[in-house]
Amino acid sequence: MPEYTINVNGQQKKVEAVPDMPLLWVLRDLLGLTGSKYGCGIGACGACSVLIDGEEMRSCRFPISDVGAAKVTTIEGLSKDGSHPLQEAWIEHDVPQCGYCQTGNIMAAAGMLRSKPNPTDADIDEALGSHVCRCGTYTRMREAIKAAARGVK
Amino acid sequence: MTTHLSRRSFLTVMGVGGASFALGYYPTLGDEKGASLEPNAFVRVDPDGTVTIWASKSEMGQGIKTGLAMIVAEQMDCDWSKVRALQADGDGAKYGRQGTGGSGSTRGMMQQLSQMGASARAMLVEAAATEWGVDKSTCRTENGKVIHDASGKSKSYGDLASAAAKLTVPAGQVPLKERKDFSIVGKPTLRVDNHDVVTGTAVYAQDVQVSGAAYGVISRRPAFGATLKSFDDAEARKVPGVIDVFRVTSGVCVIGENTWAAMKGREALKCDWDMGPNAALNTAELSKRLRESVGEHPAMPEGAKVVDATYDFPFLAHYTMEPMNCVADVRADSCTVWAPSQSPDGVQSQVSRMLSLPIGSVTVKVPLLGGGFGRRGAGDFVSDAVEASKQAKRPVKLLWTRDDDMRNDGYRPMSHHAMRGAVIDGKPVAFNHQFIKAQGGSTRTAGTPGNAGLTYRIPSATQMNGNAASPIPTGAWRSVDHSQVSVAVECFIDEMAQAAGKDPLQFRRENTSDPRLLKVLEVVEEKSGWSKPLATGLSRGVACFNGYGGRTAHVVELSIADGEVKLHRVVCVVDCGYAINPKSVEAQMQGACVDGLSTALFAEITIENGGVVQSNPLDYKWTRMNHMPKVEVYVLENDPNPAGMGETGYPGVPAAVANAVTAATGKRVRKFPNRLDELV
Ligand code: FES
Ligand code: FES
Repeated sequence: MPEYTINVNGQQKKVEAVPDMPLLWVLRDLLGLTGSKYGCGIGACGACSVLIDGEEMRSCRFPISDVGAAKVTTIEGLSKDGSHPLQEAWIEHDVPQCGYCQTGNIMAAAGMLRSKPNPTDADIDEALGSHVCRCGTYTRMREAIKAAARGVK
Repeated sequence: MTTHLSRRSFLTVMGVGGASFALGYYPTLGDEKGASLEPNAFVRVDPDGTVTIWASKSEMGQGIKTGLAMIVAEQMDCDWSKVRALQADGDGAKYGRQGTGGSGSTRGMMQQLSQMGASARAMLVEAAATEWGVDKSTCRTENGKVIHDASGKSKSYGDLASAAAKLTVPAGQVPLKERKDFSIVGKPTLRVDNHDVVTGTAVYAQDVQVSGAAYGVISRRPAFGATLKSFDDAEARKVPGVIDVFRVTSGVCVIGENTWAAMKGREALKCDWDMGPNAALNTAELSKRLRESVGEHPAMPEGAKVVDATYDFPFLAHYTMEPMNCVADVRADSCTVWAPSQSPDGVQSQVSRMLSLPIGSVTVKVPLLGGGFGRRGAGDFVSDAVEASKQAKRPVKLLWTRDDDMRNDGYRPMSHHAMRGAVIDGKPVAFNHQFIKAQGGSTRTAGTPGNAGLTYRIPSATQMNGNAASPIPTGAWRSVDHSQVSVAVECFIDEMAQAAGKDPLQFRRENTSDPRLLKVLEVVEEKSGWSKPLATGLSRGVACFNGYGGRTAHVVELSIADGEVKLHRVVCVVDCGYAINPKSVEAQMQGACVDGLSTALFAEITIENGGVVQSNPLDYKWTRMNHMPKVEVYVLENDPNPAGMGETGYPGVPAAVANAVTAATGKRVRKFPNRLDELV
């Protein structure tokens, strides 16, 4: 089985996997990073979103063989202790319900804030519009993103 | 290296048995200050001051772990920052009934948990009073401390825990703190799991690390009633990482070294299915059966203006964000399961029956549930994991893929509603609702009229129930029958209002005598600006609901452009009785609102060739961020008892959307989801 060395959350990780194994399962099953979730496996829900070189990517559709030297950031690597402004705003705005979609949404919002530090409602719609939150936390997510962008908790 | 002597080893070393002797030596023992106070299965006070409170009901996003802990902590007068809320294992003998649903957790456990908290508090007070040699009635508690004002003495719960642990748990009822003195219950409180969720450390079932675990997926029947004739696993076994392939009750299970291997193995598996008796069944046939079950409406009063309408509702999937799954570790004489279940004690009995194990040999761990909505009351995903682990002879993380989940649900039943009402002089005088569900083995025409259970005063209001034979499994979905019955009623009330020549909101107000419903209608009228004209292009609809001990009223504003409905604003007013955690009440309303919008406009499960057509988030469309209107929630508290909140926020939303669609188009909605080309 091929061996890959990938950069995850700033660390070089060696894994043995078939080339088409999606990054999601590499992260979850091989590396024990279970913060990224399986929701659909076809790129349609966003539960599995991570950042690849700072851009949101659906890890359930991203084969390990395509990772190469790219920097993978998962929710576990967004901050050391939950202190990323989005994480703090998420807690303060009491966003999570069941929580299952939240890490994917936070990663998408983090990707957006890199290029749009002051997102408009339309920016938020675009960045998160392809995610599903089955519990319906959209109103609070929007508030939390805006608060994080303002640097206010 | 410093050696830390634990209390246990200290006693052993010293060879003393007397606890009282050891107690005197606490200060020399570092952090170890003695025993914890555990007055009952729900509460523990540790010497370091941590108060652990176990939630016996499952946390699935409704905030129950936080809410139940708040109830206990309130009666205990805890320092909330020292409270740790944990999910209890599934253990019926210890915790009683753990089924979580029907918006019943808070309502059902309020009294019991208040007592648990109050008796723990009583023991802590008694411990302090005894130590200080004062009357316990002269002590008070606040923020995790017992205080004796006269002497200025105070002591933390942690410091009192081991002394209190030696006291007898109070027999009978302990007097409870009154609501006017509450400082935790009723305060907007953040969820206890927030930090873990946003850092990705929250543990759902598939996240548990079990050594030696393999991963399993199951190839399932393509149609309800289909049976497996044979399977060929030659190719599947060649897939790298596939460990084993075997038959289980629900199909053929592929075990892999990781999830991907199991999924790829399943893809390579060839199953030969006998499609069974429902191979030709489709939605149109079920719809026909539903219509054929409509009976005769009772006669309407003479001289009345008669209104007729029908409404159709589709099957709905629960579509929890986390698909069904379970982890099981079956051993020769015991079993541990990690079950995201809404019925943890039920899982314990189920597994004990399946494996013929004594109930005490079955451990049921309950991780976080990635959504429930009624789906996880069933035990099908547990059976899968237990069977798989038993055959694989190792722990198995059994996952339903999204399509497994969507195609093997217990669906909110498809239904047909035939309504007739009568109006005289602007007043409703008669009402009949025939509610026909696709459920069960036989078809039954709607017969004897029963009470319609309306919240409106209509002299003759009846409901008749029928059903159409259907092999499609059904289950409880958010607000259960109200998800159809009350939605149909609220659409029809608009039609009756129109026949009566009345404004729909005024018509509702005029015809209900429930003061709490009147109040939510009044507030929604004010907050939505109902009496003021809307901006050009906008239309609105109203609906209300009385159930689960609560009341809601919703106004939805929308517009129609390019053949699509665009949602602008939802105003929700809820009377929750009284709020344990106002933040959770608001969250439940926001969540139910998304469900209401999704099912009003997008979501439906259809049947073809005896199976479910939809299989993923693209063909079972749900509201997303970019569809979201502005949602405003106003919470009223007009009853001494907390109402159930999980279900209550739903029925008003789809009805208000439908009524707004009618206001926008001048045409009536006859079907859910509402499609503009299907209006009449
Ligand atoms: S799991 Fe990757 S998008 Fe749904
Ligand atoms: S919080 Fe449950 S799916 Fe988003």
